[in-house]
Amino acid sequence: MELDWEFMEETLPKVWAGAGVTMELTLLSLLLALPIGFYLAVIRLHGCKTLQGIVRSYVSFVRGTPIVLQILLLYSLLPSVLNVLVQAMGWQINIFEAVDPFWYAVVVFTINTVALLAEVFRSALNSIPRGQMEAGLAIGLSSLQVYLRVIIPQAMVVAMPSICNITVNLVKGTSLAFLMTVKDIMAIGKIAASFGYNYLEAYIDVFFVYLVLCTIIQIFYHLVEGRIGAFRGKRA
Amino acid sequence: METRVFDVSMLWQSLPALLEYLDVTLLVGISSICLGSLLGGLLAYGKLSRNPAGRYIAHGYTYIMRCTPSIVLLFIVFYGLPQLAEALFDWEIDDWHRGIFAVITFTLLFGAYISEVFRAAYEAVDKGQYEAAVSIGLSPWQSVWQVMLPQAAVIALPNFGNAVINLLKEGALAYTIGLIDLIGKGNLIIAQNFGAYGLEIYLACMLVYWVMTLAIEQGFNKLENYLAKG
Repeated sequence: MELDWEFMEETLPKVWAGAGVTMELTLLSLLLALPIGFYLAVIRLHGCKTLQGIVRSYVSFVRGTPIVLQILLLYSLLPSVLNVLVQAMGWQINIFEAVDPFWYAVVVFTINTVALLAEVFRSALNSIPRGQMEAGLAIGLSSLQVYLRVIIPQAMVVAMPSICNITVNLVKGTSLAFLMTVKDIMAIGKIAASFGYNYLEAYIDVFFVYLVLCTIIQIFYHLVEGRIGAFRGKRA
Repeated sequence: METRVFDVSMLWQSLPALLEYLDVTLLVGISSICLGSLLGGLLAYGKLSRNPAGRYIAHGYTYIMRCTPSIVLLFIVFYGLPQLAEALFDWEIDDWHRGIFAVITFTLLFGAYISEVFRAAYEAVDKGQYEAAVSIGLSPWQSVWQVMLPQAAVIALPNFGNAVINLLKEGALAYTIGLIDLIGKGNLIIAQNFGAYGLEIYLACMLVYWVMTLAIEQGFNKLENYLAKG
């Protein structure tokens, strides 16, 4: 088997340039999903029965269906819905050209990540003993203060490894954004691959870039975990 | 542009045609799970062994797989394996069924995920169990097979169930290499209707997956409760 090394060397920087889009997509989805996911987790724990049921079905549906189907569905749904809305408002915008598919991708991955984060936050909040809240209230803090200063800092440490997992999976998941014509790592690799039929070489480049990205993310989370978990003291 | 209203009847009509191809999806999933469990067992054995080379290889493999998007691995296997087979053994495997490439890919992925589950479960069993088994005269192999592994299996069950569900969901990607499974058939139906009914068909596929996941979840829960009785 002859790998075309020259082609791989040429393609690697091009593919690497797509890492920006991949990371933007990941970070934006994650930042949007964090507050919503947390809110849903609080609803799951303290909300009324109906809301709890809605959140539970939402989480179950998103976690029970492949992300590729979510992408295909929303990518055929969102543009038409937006179009109807825009026309109802009487604006003269061609939605199909005006909106970068990147934003559809952000919506899809946010919807997906919200469900995953809601579960993580729920179990993290559950893991903090009830006594922490009672102790906080007993020394005269308001329940919001107890949440912000006592419960959330501890819950975050518990949730961090899972959030790291979710981030890594999100980076990997964004490789499917090429189905929405977003020009990320995978899409650039795919274009390079079909240009000269160098499929294997191009995808090995893509594989390599993802490996580097994931390594960086895991090192980052490792540092963050050490920082926010500092109150627990040194661990073996 | 004319906007067509969502057609619920199309969703129900397409279900029988889609379900006909569910067996392909399940076959790919189940074969990958069986073969992947064997690979995972081997990797877990490597991670737990005293041989540093075995440990490095097993951990390194798991790390790399954890960082690889399944679709990239799928494409590498689909395009790369025929080249590799031809170069090494002079085999022509270009015309192998696409399902085989899908199974190979998901076996490689599942093996990595499940090896972590197996390793953690084995380490969760008290070492004293092994020592006790050896001290009453069982051979080391017997102690592992008859005492350690049955207990580890119970511990591993919930995570194993999760991994199975994740694998089935990732298996949905198999249509990208042209395998006609559930989603592949869905795309064919959409193509037959000149691109119409995308929403209905995809939603139908999602419902099938959702029901499947819920059923598997329930099944594993039941099994867990049954085994927890001891």
